[in-house]
Amino acid sequence: MRNGTTPKQNTRNGLFRLIPPAALFAGLALALCWGLVFEYAPKESTLGLPQKIFYLHLPLAWWALTGFFLTFVAGAAYLCTGREHWDAAGAACAEVSLVFAFLAVISGSIWARASWGVWWTWDARLTTALIMCFVYAGYLILRRPDMPPARRARISAVLGIAAFLDVPLVFFSARLWSYIHPPSISLEPEMKMTLAACLVAFAPLWLCLTALRMKIDLDGRRLDALQAARLLREDRCRDKREVQL
Amino acid sequence: MLRTALIIARKDLRLTIGRSGDLAQAAALGLLLIFIFSLSLAPGQRMSAQSAAAIFWMASAFCQVIIFSMLHAYEENNGQKQGLLLAPMPVQSVWLGKALAGIVLLMIAQALFVPALIVFLGQEFGPVWKAGPSVVLVCDIGIAGAGSLMGALVQGQSGKESLLGILVFPLLTPLFLGGIRVGSLAFGGADEGIGDWMGICLAFDAVFIAAALPLFPFAYNAEG
Amino acid sequence: MLLRLRDIARFYGPRLIFSDISLDLSGGEILLLCGPNGAGKSTLLKIIAGLMRPASGKVLCDKELNIGMIGPQSCVYSELSASENLRFWADLHGCRFSDKDMQDMLERMRLAAFADEKAGTFSTGMLQRLNLARVFMLRPDLLLLDEPASGLDEPSLAVLWNETAAAAERGAGIVMITHHPREAPLSNCRVALLENRRLCVYDGIDAFPGRENGPPAAGTAAAAPAGGERRC
Repeated sequence: MRNGTTPKQNTRNGLFRLIPPAALFAGLALALCWGLVFEYAPKESTLGLPQKIFYLHLPLAWWALTGFFLTFVAGAAYLCTGREHWDAAGAACAEVSLVFAFLAVISGSIWARASWGVWWTWDARLTTALIMCFVYAGYLILRRPDMPPARRARISAVLGIAAFLDVPLVFFSARLWSYIHPPSISLEPEMKMTLAACLVAFAPLWLCLTALRMKIDLDGRRLDALQAARLLREDRCRDKREVQL
Repeated sequence: MLRTALIIARKDLRLTIGRSGDLAQAAALGLLLIFIFSLSLAPGQRMSAQSAAAIFWMASAFCQVIIFSMLHAYEENNGQKQGLLLAPMPVQSVWLGKALAGIVLLMIAQALFVPALIVFLGQEFGPVWKAGPSVVLVCDIGIAGAGSLMGALVQGQSGKESLLGILVFPLLTPLFLGGIRVGSLAFGGADEGIGDWMGICLAFDAVFIAAALPLFPFAYNAEG
Repeated sequence: MLLRLRDIARFYGPRLIFSDISLDLSGGEILLLCGPNGAGKSTLLKIIAGLMRPASGKVLCDKELNIGMIGPQSCVYSELSASENLRFWADLHGCRFSDKDMQDMLERMRLAAFADEKAGTFSTGMLQRLNLARVFMLRPDLLLLDEPASGLDEPSLAVLWNETAAAAERGAGIVMITHHPREAPLSNCRVALLENRRLCVYDGIDAFPGRENGPPAAGTAAAAPAGGERRC
């Protein structure tokens, strides 16, 4: 239980104050990317229009994976330090990244339908994303609100670490399993450029959502801590009064 | 750590065997699954080796969930967990003890599944079936290592069996894929990159043992 | 000094259970801990045992203590027999314990006749006796007993007091939660009252005012430094 406002808290609040401008930037960057995707990048010769999904799919998958990695880092940091903002960070990363991963799986499935005529193939990346969806959905189910906060933080840190260690294993096993290796598409320079822009533009979006989620969580905890501090203070005041009596 | 782990494993096995209903419940669920899958076959039809292996591992997976929530539940009712936490031993002994007991119980159940596969799903042993048990053991080590850790996470929560399943099934995917591929070989399927699959299974075992050792104390000690 | 508590506080959710708890316990000393229901006696015991972390404050021990604890639950595997239960805990603690020692202990707890019966068939009092046998058998340096007398009949109570006194004699520190400190026939014990989120320690039962005298004067407890915010 940490009470009061520490200098660290202030810098954290300062960082959170960057959310609105970052969100604005994310919106503009994404709008620009949309322009690039439909106006600048050439239409792919064999796949045609569905190839554009790629510009959405890849950034989603990348940032989801980054988020899961950060959940892993936050879990390890929580277990080492016991500071609860790491727990909030891990949970926020997992939650936002789960949404990203889920959208990546859906867009990947549509992509598979367009290019191979099936909704699902044993593509290693797609399978890994799906398995990660399941794992981190389990992570969020495990974080029940009725658990004592310290226990919840600990067990979700443990799961966050174990889950990310599983990612390479899932990826390699899925790659070994699949017969269909999706043909690699040779990208035109304009396509590469667009893809890079999309990858970058999704970063502020992911960051804003995660930071917002974390802020909500931390604000809730802060309320609890303030309440606890008030109780402690009142208790001490009563103590002093009794001494005077 | 090994000494205390063996003491805990022996005690858990004694409790489970003494209360034979628990293991029977786990095994019965697996056997039932195998039987139900036999309904997908026309009379006289034989299921492909790969499908049979997949059903074998699915039955094992459900069995594992029941076994590990049961093994951790032994310490839940009368506060024995407190006793274990206060005993002069690394907490990891509990993880190892439960994992060892779990491997034994899981293999007992799996020994029952094999004849069921032969009877209900029309399987026959392939030429390399003798390698089967060692492959099963390699997979079971990973299953038990992860199950013993995750069992501690869901301990004391409502609906812990299904929660354990939700957490463990996706994590175990690499093992299941490997187990299915190698298992289909035991039932006469085609040999495809067995060495690679064994490599993945062994890597899984190594990763989860290495992760569980530092993580288990955090998972097990309930009250912060 | 076996154990030192410094400024311990603990919350239950947002509710403060106690704060500014300080306490010293040396080897061979018996401390009777009393207080109304919900005052946090069991929580304090768990914090001493290291099973729970305090929200603030420190628990200091000179060495790695071998702790024996009786909680509100029996800590008994009901599918194992009485002797199997004892054997399991003795093995786990690495105690060299012959069959005769075990027999003696079961006899002292008047459980010898039921040594090979499954503990699941035992009554509450028998379970408590088996639990006590487990803890005393392990010869811990620090004994934490949460209402050990509950469910015990007169002869068993006598055994409890004897064993407790014997443990103190060989140098173990003992903290015992009890609602009736005056009924404990133990010499040289201190009494601590946990009430209104504070702990007051009295040197001996005679100094203990009892609760009918109203709440004890504040200030006998470890002085509460005013205003300081605490962190873990």
